Amino acid sequence: MLFSSITFLYYFLPLVLILYYAVPNKLKNTVLLIFSLVFYGWGEPKLLLLMALTILIGYISAVVMAKTDRKGLKKTVFIVSITVIFAFLAYFKYASFFVRNFAAITGISAPVLNIALPIGISFYTFQIISYVIDVYWGREKCENNLIDFAAYVSMFPQLIAGPIVRYSDISLQMKERKFSSENLYLGFRRFVYGLAKKVLIANAFGALCSDFRGADAKSVAFYWVYAIAFTLQIYFDFSAYSDMAIGLGKILGFDFIENFNYPYISKSITEFWRRWHMSLSSWFRDYVYIPLGGNRVSVARHIFNIAVVWMLTGFWHGAEWNFIIWGIYFAIFLMLEKYVFKNVMEKIPSVIRHIAVMTVIVISFVIFNANGLSGAVSDISAMLGLSGFPLWSSETAYFIRSYAVMLAVGVVGCLPVVKKTFVKAERFTVIRVLEPIVLVALLLVSTAYLVDGSYNPFLYFRF
Amino acid sequence: MIRKISLGIVLAVWLSLTVFCIIKPQDDFSSAERRQLSKFPEVSVNSVASGKFASEFESYTLDQFPMRDSFRTIKAVTEFDLLGKLDNNDIYIQDGQAAQLLYPLSENSVNNATDKITSIYETYIEGSDCNVAVVPIPDKGYYLAEKNGYPSLDYGRMFDILKENLTFATFCDITDTLDEDSYYPTDTHWKQENLLPTAQKIADIFGVSVYDGEVKTAKEDFYGVYYGQSALPLKADKINYITNDSIENLTAYNYETNETGGVYVSEKLDGRDAYDFFLFGASPLVEIKNPECTTGRELVIFRDSYTSSIAPLLVKDYSRVLLVDTRYMASAFIGQYIDFENQDVLFMYSTSLLNSSYVLK
Repeated sequence: MLFSSITFLYYFLPLVLILYYAVPNKLKNTVLLIFSLVFYGWGEPKLLLLMALTILIGYISAVVMAKTDRKGLKKTVFIVSITVIFAFLAYFKYASFFVRNFAAITGISAPVLNIALPIGISFYTFQIISYVIDVYWGREKCENNLIDFAAYVSMFPQLIAGPIVRYSDISLQMKERKFSSENLYLGFRRFVYGLAKKVLIANAFGALCSDFRGADAKSVAFYWVYAIAFTLQIYFDFSAYSDMAIGLGKILGFDFIENFNYPYISKSITEFWRRWHMSLSSWFRDYVYIPLGGNRVSVARHIFNIAVVWMLTGFWHGAEWNFIIWGIYFAIFLMLEKYVFKNVMEKIPSVIRHIAVMTVIVISFVIFNANGLSGAVSDISAMLGLSGFPLWSSETAYFIRSYAVMLAVGVVGCLPVVKKTFVKAERFTVIRVLEPIVLVALLLVSTAYLVDGSYNPFLYFRF
Repeated sequence: MIRKISLGIVLAVWLSLTVFCIIKPQDDFSSAERRQLSKFPEVSVNSVASGKFASEFESYTLDQFPMRDSFRTIKAVTEFDLLGKLDNNDIYIQDGQAAQLLYPLSENSVNNATDKITSIYETYIEGSDCNVAVVPIPDKGYYLAEKNGYPSLDYGRMFDILKENLTFATFCDITDTLDEDSYYPTDTHWKQENLLPTAQKIADIFGVSVYDGEVKTAKEDFYGVYYGQSALPLKADKINYITNDSIENLTAYNYETNETGGVYVSEKLDGRDAYDFFLFGASPLVEIKNPECTTGRELVIFRDSYTSSIAPLLVKDYSRVLLVDTRYMASAFIGQYIDFENQDVLFMYSTSLLNSSYVLK
C-alpha cells in the first residue's frame, strides 16, 4: 500500500489511528502489528510468509544467542541465521543477476529466472540483520516478546523504504511511548509536508523524466534537463517518504531517526554521503566498514575497505551492473577526496566546489536510473554531445517552459532556506494560526492530484 | 492551545473526507470523463489472496471519491495557474481551444494503418472499377501546436507515408480548407457548419457536388471530450448543423442497433456524447439512402467519428452511402455487407487515429 494513495489516506490510516488510540497501551503493539501486516500484504498477501519467516528467524536466533552460555552454539546460531536471512535476500533480489551473468561469462545456457522482488525486502532484512548482529555482539538485549519484535520489523511507517530504524534506536519506545496532542500535530504536519513533496513535486519531476523518455526530438540540453529532473525527483521522492515515515512514527508515539539533511548543499562527496540516506550509510559504516578496519589501517587496506563498502552500497540498490558502477563511482570520488584533493579542495571557492559536487551527483543519478550499464553509457554520451543529438530542440524548449516553475521550486526546496524561514516565522502567532490552513490546503491539493493521477510508486520501492 | 486547535482543524477535515468516502453513494458513470466508474469490488478469499481485491479497491476509491470532478478541477487549476504547466493530462488550452498533445509521430502506427487499408483494398476493391481516395483528417493540433510552441506531430512525414504506401488511392490533402476555428473548442471533432469547403474538395475527387443549406442549432451547451479531460471550467459551445429539405429526406440505418431515422438524431443530444447527434455516433456500419438521387451511384467511406458530421454533406449525388468503421467491425465481415463494384471509396481517418491505429481491425 502506498502512503500517497486514497486507500491509505482515507481508509487505512483513520482506521489504524482510531483503533490504536482506542486500545490500552499494552495492546498498541498488537494493533500496530496487525495493521502493518495488512499494509504489507495489501497487494500481495503471499509476501507476508517470507517476511514472517525472516522475522521468526531473527527472533528465535536472538533469543537463543542471548540465553545460551555456549560460545560455539551462539556463533553457530549467529552464522546460520545471518546466512539464511541473507540467502532470502540473495535469492529474491540477486539470483537472476548472478545466473544471467554466469551464463554470459561461461556461455552455458541458463534458465531465465522470473523472481519478483518482494517489496521492502532490502530494508527489513537490514533491520533484522543489524538486530541479530547487535545481540550477538552483546550491544543489544534480545527481545523476548515476539509481538513487539514483529511489530518493530513490520511497522508500516518505515517498513517499505526506511529509514532503516535499528532496534537499538527504538527498543525502549517499543515498550513505552509518550503521547501528546503536540506530537500528534507535529506528526500530521510532517506527514502532510511529506505527502505534498511526493505528490506535488517528486511526481512532477517523474512526469518530466517520463516525458523525456517518450520524447521524439531529444537534444543534449534535454538530456541535461532530464538528469537534473531525476536528481530532484529521487531526492524529493525518497526524502518525502522519510518525512511521511517520521511523521507517522510521531503520530504513533515513535521518534525515528532522520534520513536526509539537505544533501544537495554538500561541498564534497564525503559530505553528501553524510547527508543522503543517512540510515543506510550509517548501517554500512557500523556493520561493514568498521568491522573491516575502517580508516585505522594501511592506505591500501583503507582503499579496499572503501571500495567494498561502496560496491555493496551500490549493489544494495539493485541487481544490475549500473548500480555496482554507481557505488564504485562514489568510492573513486571518496578516495580522490581523501588522498588526492584533500588539501586542494579547501582552497577552491565553495561555489565552484558546490557546482563540481552537484555535477558529480547529477551524473551519478544518470548512471543510477539508466537501463543497465549500456543505458548509462548511452545517456552520458548523449549528455556530453557524443551521440549526434542537436544541442537544442523545440521540444526541449516546451518542456523547460512547462516545468520552469516546478524546476525553480525543486531547486529552492533542496535548500535549508525554506525550513529556516519557516522556523523563524513560526515565532509569530499569525503564522501558527495560519499553519493548519496551509496543511489542509496541501492535503486537499495533494488529494486532488491523487484523485486525478495515475499510479506513482515511490522510487525506493524497487530496492 | 493553538496547536490543539490546529490539530482539531486538520483532523476534522481529514476525518470528514473519510466519512464522505464511506457514506457517499456509488456513481455509475462520469459524464465529465465519459466513462463507467469502478464499483466496490467483490470480496472473496481468492480475490483478496491474489491481490485482485486490493487493485480493484484502489480504482474504486479513486473513481468514487467525493466531489471527484471538483478535485480534478483543483488539480488542473493548480497545474495551469499556480505551477505554470502548459498542459494538464496532455490537454493544453490555446486561443480558447482545448487540444490534445499529439506527438511524437508513430511511423509504425501509420504503417499499420496503411497495411490495414491495403488489405481491405486487395481483398475487396482491387479490380472492381472503384475510385479510391485517401483523406487524412487533421486534428486541431495541426493548426495550433507548432505555431504556439507545443510539441507537434510530423504531419508532413505522416502524409508522405500515406502517399508512399497507398499508391492505389488518390491522396487528398484537406488541410487548406480548415483552420483552428473549424473545431469545437472543448472537443476533438470538427464543426459541421465549417465543413462545406472541405466537403467540396473531397467531392471534387469524384466529380460530385455537396449539399448546402441552412445552419440550425441543435444544442446550446455542448461540452466535448476535452472538457472532461482537462477538468477546467471551459465555456460550452453550440452544436450546429446544416440542413435543407433534401437532407431532411435522407434516411439512415444503423446496422448495429437496427435504428432507422434521419442523418441527425436528436435523441442523442442528451446522451453521453452530444456529437452522436450526427449519424448515431460510433457504429460499425451505417447506411444512408438518398431518395432524391436515382443514379444508383454509391459511396463507401471507411472512417472514424469525424466522418459522422461531414458524411451528410457528401450524399447529394449518391443514391446510397455506406459508412464502415473497422474499429468496431472486423474487416473480414465487410464482404457480407458490401459488394464492391463501381463505387467511390474513401478512406477517411483522423491523424490522431492514424497515429494510434492498433484499434483498427
